[in-house]
Formats: sequence, C-alpha cells, structure tokens
Amino acid sequence: MDKAIIVDHLSKDFFVSEGKKSISDAIINLFKKENKKRVKALKEISFTIQSGEIVGFIGPNGAGKTTTMKILSGLLYPNSGFVSVLDYDPFLKSKEFLKEISVVFGQKNQLWWDLPVINSFEFNKAIYEINDKDYEKSLNELVSLLGVSELLNTQVRKLSLGQRMKMELIASLLHRPKVLFLDEPTLGLDLTAQQNLRDFIYEYNKKYNATILLTSHNMNDLVDLCRRVIIIDGGQIIFDGPFDEIVKKYATEKNIKITLSEEVKISEIEEITKVKKYNYPNLTLSVPRSTVAYVAAELLQKLSITDLNIEETPIEDIIRTIFKGEK
Amino acid sequence: MDKYISILKIGFQQELAYKLQFIIGRLRNIIQILVFFFLWSSIFQTQDSVFGYTISSIGAYTFLLIIIRSIVMSTKVNDVSGFVSSGELSNYLLKPINFFKYIIIKDIPVKLLNIGFSAVELTLLFIILKPNIYIQSDATQLLFFILSIIIASFIFFCILMLSNSFPFWVPEAGWGAQFLIVAIFVEFLSGAFFPIDVFPTTIQNFLKLTPFPYIVFIPIKTYLGNMTIYNNLQNMAIGLIWCFILFLLLKKIWWKGLKVYEGVGR
Amino acid sequence: MINYYLKIWLLMAKNSIYAWMSKKETVAIFLFGKMVRYIFYFGFLYFLVSKSNGILGFSANQALFFTATYTLVDTLGQFFFRSVYTFRQFVVTGDFDLVLTRPINALFRSVAGGPDPIDLITIPPIIAVVVYIGSLLNPTLIGVVYYLILVINALMISLSVHIFILGTGIITLTVDQLVIIFRDFSSMGRFPIDIYKEPLKSVLTFVVPVGIMFTIPAKAILGLVSPIGVLSSVVFGIALFILSLKYWQFALKKYTSASS
Repeated sequence: MDKAIIVDHLSKDFFVSEGKKSISDAIINLFKKENKKRVKALKEISFTIQSGEIVGFIGPNGAGKTTTMKILSGLLYPNSGFVSVLDYDPFLKSKEFLKEISVVFGQKNQLWWDLPVINSFEFNKAIYEINDKDYEKSLNELVSLLGVSELLNTQVRKLSLGQRMKMELIASLLHRPKVLFLDEPTLGLDLTAQQNLRDFIYEYNKKYNATILLTSHNMNDLVDLCRRVIIIDGGQIIFDGPFDEIVKKYATEKNIKITLSEEVKISEIEEITKVKKYNYPNLTLSVPRSTVAYVAAELLQKLSITDLNIEETPIEDIIRTIFKGEK
Repeated sequence: MDKYISILKIGFQQELAYKLQFIIGRLRNIIQILVFFFLWSSIFQTQDSVFGYTISSIGAYTFLLIIIRSIVMSTKVNDVSGFVSSGELSNYLLKPINFFKYIIIKDIPVKLLNIGFSAVELTLLFIILKPNIYIQSDATQLLFFILSIIIASFIFFCILMLSNSFPFWVPEAGWGAQFLIVAIFVEFLSGAFFPIDVFPTTIQNFLKLTPFPYIVFIPIKTYLGNMTIYNNLQNMAIGLIWCFILFLLLKKIWWKGLKVYEGVGR
Repeated sequence: MINYYLKIWLLMAKNSIYAWMSKKETVAIFLFGKMVRYIFYFGFLYFLVSKSNGILGFSANQALFFTATYTLVDTLGQFFFRSVYTFRQFVVTGDFDLVLTRPINALFRSVAGGPDPIDLITIPPIIAVVVYIGSLLNPTLIGVVYYLILVINALMISLSVHIFILGTGIITLTVDQLVIIFRDFSSMGRFPIDIYKEPLKSVLTFVVPVGIMFTIPAKAILGLVSPIGVLSSVVFGIALFILSLKYWQFALKKYTSASS
C-alpha cells in the first residue's frame, strides 16, 4: 500500500476547567456546575504520509503535535474527520494494528520499574508474539547499537535517565514496527548517543521501509533525518513540504558574517544595514535576500574586512520566526 | 499461549518485588478478621446464640471469610484508576492485547499468592483456636459453592473496574470513588464485615437484589449448605444476572471513557 | 513563638482548604463515604449489642461510646498529623532539604503541614456524638475530667508514634507502610481491647499502645480507671513523646540528602 497514514479534516477539542483565583471563586465553584472552556487543539488538519517516509513534525508547545500523534496511535478519539494508519482505524486498537506500530513518548515508561530490564523485553516478546529468531536478532542489534549490553539484568529503577531512555527505545522497537511515532527521541541523550540514534533510525527506515513520524526540538534530528517537514501551530498546519523549501519560503534574510581588521562605530555600520551582533572583531548582519550582494559589496568598500561570509539564517531562527507569525 | 504465560510471569514477579506491600496487605486482612472474630466471641461469652449464629458457626464464617476474601477480593485492579489519571494507561492501550484480559490474567498470581498465605494463616488459626469447622461433603453443594465463587469474583471485578473508571471524567476523584464504592459499600454490604442475616428480613431481601451480598455472603452461605436446592438456584440465577448486567455496563462505560481519555498525566 | 507557629499553621490549613476546594467532587465523595462508614459502624454495633446481652457486660450505649472515642481520637489524629502521608514524597524527591533549611521547625512542618479540610467538617459532628452518647452514661465530673485528660494524652501518643514513623522514614523511606500498620492496629481499638484474647491483648497494651489511646479514656468516663491508672497513662504518654523527639533528632543526623 502506498499511503501509510491518511489524515483528512481531523479535529479534536479538549475541555479545560478554568482555575479559580480567589477563595470566594473557589467556594462558588463548590456549588455550581463548572463551565469548561472548549479548546480546539486540532482544526481540520489534513495530510498524507507515504510508506517509508520520515516526516518531521514541528510546532511550538501546545500546537497539536502530540495530540495528532496520540490520535494516530489510537489513544485519543477524534471529534471529527478521517484518520487511517496502515488501513486501520487506530482508535479500534485492533491487535494487528498495534503490532505494526510503536510509540516512543518522552516521559512515559513502559518498563517494569522493579524488575531487570530483560524481563520487560521478554514480556514484549511474548505480547507482540515475536518469534525467537527475530527477537534475538532485533535485541542484539538494538543493544549493541545503543551500547547497553551490560545493563540488561539491571533493575530499571537503578538505571540513569539516559540509560532508561535507551531501554525504552529498545523495548519499543523489538517487534519491528512498520510505523514509528517518535516524540523527542533524542531528548536526554548525550551527543554520541544522539548521533547513533539518528543513524539507527535512518538505517531502520531504509532497511524495513518503516514510516516514521518524528517530533523534535533538536534541529540536528530534523536536518539529518527529515526530508519532509510538517509545521503545525495553533492546531493548524502552516507548512507541509520539503525541508529546504522552508528556507526558501520563510528565510527572507541572510546573514553576513564579517571579521573586521579595524574597529568601527556601530552607527557607521547601521547606515548600511541592520546589525545583528557586534563583538569586535566579529560582526553579524541580517540582510534581505534580494539586496545581500549589493550590501556585501558596500561593506567591503566601506569597512576594513579580513573575512566575509554569506550564510543562510539558521533553521532554528527561521522556525522561531514562523511560530511568531511573522513571514 | 506464550502471551498469557508471560503475563502470569510478570504478575508473579511484580508481587515478589513488592514483598513488603504484600505482607502488609495480609496483615490488614488478618487484623480485620481478628476484629470480626473477637467481637463476636465476646458477645458469645454471655449468651449462646445471637441472630441465629453460635460461636461455632461464627468460627466457620470467619474461616470462610479468610478463604473467600483471598480468592475473590485479592486484586491489583485498584491500580487502574491511577493508570487512568496519570496517563500510564496509554502504555497498555498501545500493546496488542485486550486490557481487560490483561488485568484479569495478571490478577491470577496475586490471587494464588493470597490463597497460599491464607491457607497458612488458617492452619495457624486452626491450631491456636481449634474451632469446629464444618467440612462440606455434599457434592452438589460444593458445585454450587464453586459456581458462587466464580460469580463472586466476576461481580467484584466489574464493580471494582467501574469504580476505577471514574478518573476518565473526574481525574482528581480517582481513588475517592473507589474508596466509597469498594472500601465502604462493598465491605459493608457484601457480608465481609458482618453476616447479612443480622439485618431484618425485609432489608435482607432488598440487599439480595443488589450485587453486593453475592461477593462474600452468598458463597459462605452456599458452603455452609443449609439451603434448599431452590434457594441455591435462585441465588445463582440472580448472581448470573448481575454478572451480565455489570459486564455490559462496564463495557459501555469503558468505551465511553476511552473516547474522552486524554492520556495526560496529573 | 506560639503566635508564629499558630499563624503558620493557619496558613497551611488555608492552603489545604484551598487546594481541596478545587477538587469538589473528591471532597463530596470522601465526605459522603466517611459519613456512610460511620453510620454503618455505629448502626451495626448498636444493632448487635442491643439485640444481644452486650459485649463483656458493657451496655449498648457504653459499647457505642468506645467506638465514638476511637473515632474521635483517630479523626483528630488524622486531622492534625496529616502531613505524614506526604512525607515520603518530600524525602524521596529531596524536597525535604527545602524544609530543613527553612526557619520553621522541620518536624512541625512535616507533621502538621496539611490538615484535611474534610475532617474539619466531620470533626464537629463526631464531637457532638461523643458528647451525646457520653451524656447518656451519666458520668461523674471527675470521670469527664479524666476523659479529657486521657484523650489529649491519646493525641500526644498518636503524635509520638507519627514522629517515630517520620524519623524512620528519613532513614529508610518506608513511611506509608508503617502508618498503615499503625492505623490498622488502632482500628482494633474500636472496641474495648478486653475482647481480644492474649497474647493479642498484651500486644495492644504494650507494643502498640492502642489500649491506652482508646480503651482507657472511655473506661475513665465509666469510672473504671483509678487515679493511678490515669497518672501512669499520662506519664507513659509524656515519656513516649520525649523519646520520639530524641529519635527525631537522631534520625536527622542520619539524613542523607536524596539526589534526583
């Protein structure tokens, strides 16, 4: 099948009770029925993901990313719209469906706290009905990749946060799911582990043609893995397309990085263009795309420059700007 | 099937990992039963029979209480409300196994351990107190007894799960609902705290229409065997009807609950 | 100094009340539950005792008075010493460090830090019940005086036990289990402990002082306790209290601040 995930006009509302400020409010609250405020978490969003795609899902906190993932994994019930994952209705939670997917959420532990890690793995093996051979293979692969082979018999309680996260990840991947929902998978891992994990996800995707939907605030994750990115904000999708298009569409400015050989007053520079950062001898300027060549030429003329570089605005800044609603 | 064996294994391992909790649980059980027994004994110091019970039939009642509580009422299902309010339920919903099946099977090791311990406690009590224990020898009565225990466990399970479903709608009232329904209503009206027939007949008959007495009192009475076949059949019938009603109710409520479930922690 | 602590206690009480008010369904359910439970306990006991020849020679009203006294002391204890239930959290997360470094006595904060507003509602009726049933017993003035002294003594014992538990909690982190065990043993004090055979009765007199906490005050109002009995109970209470404070100091020395 081509389309692994289909989302059509999906909406989800939450009802939130308002906090009470004063004692008198609280007392009144005791006697009347609470008015809950309706919050539209998702407003008729639509997108499709093909098998084998790795898609990055970005948005500020509260934008609706986690809500979408929870609906796609069957945890939340959509208020309206159509959702299909691998041709299943996720909410029905059929066994066949659940065996094909995996969700890795940040804070949730599925591992049994007081038991050795390996017990949890064997439990998953039985629940997901993985045969012995595949289990051995997956387990060894994952364990050596994440470097945790000596810890298999340790109680989960005794593991550090980073180690626990690696174990959670292993537990989630033992059954070789076809669709992976990853919520901040590299959070809490050291840099080497992060890179290892990214490489692993990439390989996993290639090898098993797994569909991967990933949220992250770590730009390296997005840059390395996601050829396509969906940006969601306030329950709506504001961008859905190839990663590089974000730059083209939203990065209206480029950065010029200069090393000066002679100190100069800020006001003089500002006559030419906007100064982003000035720490002699380093100077960073923000310049609109269309005029960057012209400005660069002027700078070279007017200032004593040892080195000049023209760079794209870093992705983080672009995305931050998108979230702020600027274009 | 491997699936179910692994759940049994995990269930055992969990109980053993929390040994102290388990022992304290047994201790609580014993204390409750001791209070029950000694209260009644002290009454029997000044008279021979009260409400139709004598010291030996109260002794039998006590013993049966211990056994039946350990079979019917030892459970970990009371953790479910915590899962719902904390969002931990999500972990279970994502696993390819029916949640109800999962928790019922996971309770088996809990029950077995409790039955084992209660057997030890009973032996000790037997040695210390040497009461007259009525051993049921009538096969039909025993069959009814076993059936009543199954009905009792099922009814208790449904009531407990229903109480544990409150957090879907009122996350903060998680164990409040459980407290009210289970610790109070079930405890008092099931015959676990006192035999139901101390109530006047009209109240008794009313209570027998509720599911509660079928959890403890009816099984005990069935074992003690002084009822007609007709009574036994009547009890089983009402018990089964309640099983049916409660199960349908539970399925419906749970389905609705999942629809409003938000999966966020408190 | 008293003003300082009183003010702080009122503040903590207000915060607890405020926190509970936002969970009104929970308040309602617990309140209802507790009421139903008390009605069941009293109702059943009354039923039982009046239809029989009483318990060990105590009349129906007398038996009910034992239960009422237990309810009173237990509820007051829960009300004042509620914070012990959250103590484990403090120590495990390391929040206890914050408690220790504030200029308020850490013990006070750990014990009395969070009175349960539900008990505020249930305590007055319980007192009313105690007074009512007590009056039916036609007690002497001295009986009533003894009763009041011994109830306060019972609370002091309860406090001491809680302090012991907290101290042990600092060292071993097992607070909740100990509290549960204590409350379970206490629940045996619902009836005069004479109903329990040996060796249980001795355990309830000497090991877990249930007899002194619940049975003796009720007996005092019935004129069954000699002045020596009252005195020795009070001495025991005070001694236990002092011991518990020493234990608390000892435990603080053993405190190893938890890391995350």
